[in-house]
Amino acid sequence: MVSRVSRRTILAGGAAALSATAIGAPRLAFGQETRLRLMWWGSQPRAERTFEVTKLYMEQNPGVQIDGETVGWDDYWPRLATQVAGRNAPDIIQMDYRYIFEYARRDALAPLDEFVPDVLNLSGFDQAALDGGSVDGALYGISLGANSSAMMINKAAFDEVGIDIPDNSLTFDELQRIGMEITNAGKRRNFYGIADGSGLEPFFENYVRQRGKALYTEDGQLAFDAEDVREWFELWAAMREAKACVPPDVQALDKNQIETGMVSLGHAAVSYGHSNQLVGYQALNKDPIVMHAYPRIAAGVGGGHYRKPSMFFSISSQSQNPEAAAAYISFFVNDPKAAEILDVERGVPESSAVRESLAPKLDDTGRAAVEYIGGLGDLAGPLPPPPPLGAGEIDRMLLRVSQEVAFGQHTPQSGAEAFIAEAESILARG
Amino acid sequence: MTTIATSGPISAQSRGWLARAWTRNGAGYMFLLPWFIGFFGLTAGPALVSLYLSFTSFDLLTAPRWIGLDNYIRIATADPKFMASMRVTFFFVLVSVPLKLIFALAVAMALNRGIRGLPWYRAIFYLPSLLGASVAISVLWRQLFAGDGLVNSFLANFGIEGPSWISNPNYSIYTLIVLAVWQFGSPMIIFLAGLRQIPQDMYEAAELDGASKWRQFWKITLPLLTPVVFFNAVVQTIEAFKAFTPAFIISGGTGGPINSTLFYTLYLYQEAFGFFRMGYASALAWVLLVIIALFTAFSFLTARYWVHYDD
Amino acid sequence: MTDIAAFDETQQRGLTKRKLWMSVLLHGLLIGGSFIMLYPLLWMLSASFRPEEEIFSSTSLIPSSISFDAYPRGWFGLQESFGTFFWNSFVISILCVIGNLMACSLAAYAFARLNFWGRNFWFAIMLGTLMLPYHVTLVPQYVLFLNLGWVGTFLPLVVPKYLAVDAFFIFLMVQFFRGIPRELTEAAMMDGCSAWRIYWKVMLPLSLPVLATAAIFTFIWTWDDFFGPLIYLTDMRDYTVQLGLRSFVDSTGLSDWSGLFAMSILSLVPVFFFFLFFQRLLIEGIATTGLKR
Repeated sequence: MVSRVSRRTILAGGAAALSATAIGAPRLAFGQETRLRLMWWGSQPRAERTFEVTKLYMEQNPGVQIDGETVGWDDYWPRLATQVAGRNAPDIIQMDYRYIFEYARRDALAPLDEFVPDVLNLSGFDQAALDGGSVDGALYGISLGANSSAMMINKAAFDEVGIDIPDNSLTFDELQRIGMEITNAGKRRNFYGIADGSGLEPFFENYVRQRGKALYTEDGQLAFDAEDVREWFELWAAMREAKACVPPDVQALDKNQIETGMVSLGHAAVSYGHSNQLVGYQALNKDPIVMHAYPRIAAGVGGGHYRKPSMFFSISSQSQNPEAAAAYISFFVNDPKAAEILDVERGVPESSAVRESLAPKLDDTGRAAVEYIGGLGDLAGPLPPPPPLGAGEIDRMLLRVSQEVAFGQHTPQSGAEAFIAEAESILARG
Repeated sequence: MTTIATSGPISAQSRGWLARAWTRNGAGYMFLLPWFIGFFGLTAGPALVSLYLSFTSFDLLTAPRWIGLDNYIRIATADPKFMASMRVTFFFVLVSVPLKLIFALAVAMALNRGIRGLPWYRAIFYLPSLLGASVAISVLWRQLFAGDGLVNSFLANFGIEGPSWISNPNYSIYTLIVLAVWQFGSPMIIFLAGLRQIPQDMYEAAELDGASKWRQFWKITLPLLTPVVFFNAVVQTIEAFKAFTPAFIISGGTGGPINSTLFYTLYLYQEAFGFFRMGYASALAWVLLVIIALFTAFSFLTARYWVHYDD
Repeated sequence: MTDIAAFDETQQRGLTKRKLWMSVLLHGLLIGGSFIMLYPLLWMLSASFRPEEEIFSSTSLIPSSISFDAYPRGWFGLQESFGTFFWNSFVISILCVIGNLMACSLAAYAFARLNFWGRNFWFAIMLGTLMLPYHVTLVPQYVLFLNLGWVGTFLPLVVPKYLAVDAFFIFLMVQFFRGIPRELTEAAMMDGCSAWRIYWKVMLPLSLPVLATAAIFTFIWTWDDFFGPLIYLTDMRDYTVQLGLRSFVDSTGLSDWSGLFAMSILSLVPVFFFFLFFQRLLIEGIATTGLKR
C-alpha cells in the first residue's frame, strides 16, 4: 500500500502545479495510526450507511483510519482483480458467495479462524452462517446478511386477474396454471404470467435440490445428470408452449439485473431475484412487489432453498494489519448502533442479538425480507457443497444453452447433453 | 520521395561518421524523443509482459505458470467460443466500418459550408458520439429495438410486424451495427478537417471550367481527401476489431443472446476477469493483434495505388 | 474569413429556383437527422424528470409527472458533490489535451517530414501499439504505476499523454502533415530554417484543423473515459464525473436512476461547449487563410 506521504512527495516533485492543487487540500493525518482500506460494491444508500458506520468506528477507536472505496457491481470485480494482482489489495474486501471460493482457493484471502473469538466476536452467528463463509474448512468470510433466492411478484397484476398470492404449498403445475391465467386475461399490453427461469442457475439449483441432488459434489464434480437438465428444459418448454411464461425473445431482454427483470420491464407478473433485492425491485415498480419462494416440484417436496450469505467481509492475505481489520468487521456485525445504521440493506443480519434489537425498528420492506427468510420452513434445506472453480462459467453457459433450447436451436434432450458435456470440460479445465 | 537534409545545407564531409549520422538522423530522433520515452517506459513493458503471460496459465491471483504453446493450441483447435466470437467480430467489422465511413463522409460534405447554423448542426450530429456507450444507451436501445419498441411501432404503420431486434439472436448484431454507424461523429469531424484543408481556389478554377458539383467531388475532393479516407478506414477497422463497450452494455456483459453479440474483446474480457484466465486472454489478445496487423499491412500495401499525398 | 463570406454571397445571389429547393430539402434532411441524433438526449432529459418507477417500463417521451428533485439530489447525493467531480474531470481533460497536442505533433512531424534511419520500422511499431486490447496490458501497467507510486493520483491518467502513447493522434497528424504542400517547408529550408523552426512556424500554424480535431477528441474521450479512473483513482475526492455517475447505479441493488440521468445531462454540458468552441478552429483552417498553391 502506498502511503499518502509518498504520494504527496512525488506529486510535489513531478506534477504540474495545477494537478497538485486539483487533487485537493493535504489529507495528511499525523501521528502513529493504523490505516485500513475497505472496498465494497453497491450504490449510494449502501455507501452512506457504510461510511457512517466507519465514521462511528473511527470516533470510538482513535488511531484507526479507514478509507472506504465503493463502485458498482460490474466495475467492482475487474478493479478488485487488478488490485489483488498488483499486490495492492484493500485490507477489507466485500465478497460475494460465488467469488469467495475463487479468491480463497487462490490464497488471496486470509483465514480468519485465529481471530475468533478474541478479536472477532461471532457468538451470535449460528453454524450455518459460519459455514457459508468457510472454504475447505477455514473461515474466510463473515456473512453480512442472510439471503435466499425468491420470486418477485407484481401483486397488482395478480389482483387484476383475481388471483391471490399463493401460499408456500405452490407447485410448478400451479405456477404454470397461474401464468396461463394471467397471460390469457390480457389485462396489460405485451404482458405474460411469469418470466422464463430456464437459464437461471439459482432456480435450476433449487430444482435439482428438490430432486435430492445438488449442483456440485463435495469434490467439485457435477452432482446432477443429463436427465435432470432435460426435464428442466422440458418443464420450461411446456411453460412456453402454454404461454404461461414470456416468449424467448422477450426473456432475452433480461440481463440478470434488477432493471432488466421481466417485472421491472413490465412484461411479466413474476420474475426471479434474491430476497435482499426487494427494495431495488420495489423502487422501479409502481405496483407493490411481494416475495414468494420458488415452487415445489410436487406437493410436499421441499428443501430447494437455502439460507445463503448475501455478501461477506473478507480480509486480504496481503493486509499488513489483519487484526485491526478483524476488529472492524467484528464491530460491523455486532455493534447495535452500527446495526441500526446498516439496517437490513445488506440482508438480514446473522447475529441473533442484532436481529432482535433491529426487529422493532424495521420498515415494511425490511420486515418482508426478515419474514421471508424466517418463513421458508421446509422449503429450506442445508447449505450445498461449495462451488468448484469454473462454476461461474457454467452459470453463464446455462443461460446460453437455455436460450438455444428456447429459440429452437436445441431440443431439451440435445440441449441437456450439450450442457453436460460443456460443463464437464469446464470443470476439467478449472 | 526526395531526401531532405534535416538541419540545413551545412557540409558534413569533414566530420566523422557519428556526426554525419547525427546530422542525417538526429532531428528525427529528437522529435520522437517523447514518444520513445513513452513507448519504452510505459507501453512496451506491459505489452511484453502480456506476451509472456500468453504462454502461461495465469489466474491473476497466483503466480503465472509456464505452459508453452498450450493457450495458442487451444485457440486453434479446441475453442468453439473463439470461432463464434471471430464470426461475430468479422461480420461487425465488414458491415459497420464501410457504412460508418460513407455516412460520416456524406454528412461531413453536407455540413462543410454554405448553410446557416452550421456549428449547431455539427454539434448535434456529433452528439451521439458524445454519449459514448453509457447506461443510458443500453436502456434507450432496448426501448427502440425491443419487440414493442419504437422501431416496430413505426414499422407497424406499413403493416410490417418486426421481431424483437435486440433480443433475437438472428438480429441482435444489427442493433450494434446501427449503434456503431449512428456514432459516426469522430470520422465525420476528421473528414471535415480534411475538407478544410483542400484549397478553395481549386474549386473556383473548376467552377470556371464549368465542372459540375458531382465532377468536382470525384476530381478534386475525393483524391485530395484520400489520406484522410485512408486514415479513417484504417483506424475505424482497428477500433471495430477491438470494439468492446457497446456489446458489453447492450448484452449486459454476456455477449448474448446465444453468443450473437460475443465480440472478440468481450470474450477476452470474460476470460480475463470473469473466469480468471488472464494467460488465455493474453493469448487471445495477441492473436487479435496479428489479425489486425495483417489487415493494416494490407491497407498500407494497397494505399500506394489510391492514396495521394502532396509529397 | 472574408474570402469565404464573399464567396457565399456571390453564390447566394446566383441561386436559381432549383437551388432554393435543394436548400430546403437539405435543411429538411438535416433537421430530421438532428431529431434522430437528439432523441437520446430528449429521452435522458425526460428520464431525469420522471418518477423512478416509470423509467424502465414506459416507452413514452412524456413523463406522467415532472420533478426536478433528481438534480439537487444527484449533485449533492454522493459523499462528494458533483462540483468536485467536474473539477477533477476538467483538470485531467485539459492536461491531457495539452499533452497530446504537444507530444503527438512532435512525433507526427518526425514521421511525416523528417528522414531518419528506421522511420518505417518505428512507424509500424507505433501503429502496432493501437492494436493490442487494453484489457491484457492493464495489470502489468497497474503494477508499473504502483511501483512509481502513482496509483491514487492523476498521474497515470495524464503523464502518458505527454509521452505520446496515443498512437491514434500521431497517425492522424501524420496524415494531415503530409497534406501540407511540400513547397512551403522546402522554401523555409532553403532560407536555412531548422527542423524545429519549420515545425513551429510552418507546420503547426497550417495544421489548425487537425490540432483542433485532436483537442476535441482528447478532451471528449478523456472526459468519457471511466476504465482508467476506475482502476487508478481510489479516493472519492479524486473521482471523475464518469466514476461519479457510475456510483449511482448498482445492478444488484437499489440504484438512483433519475439521479444518474440528471447528472448525465449535466455532464454533457462541458463537452458540448468544448466542442462548439473548438469546432470554430476547424473552420479557420488552411482553406480560409488565403493560402494559394
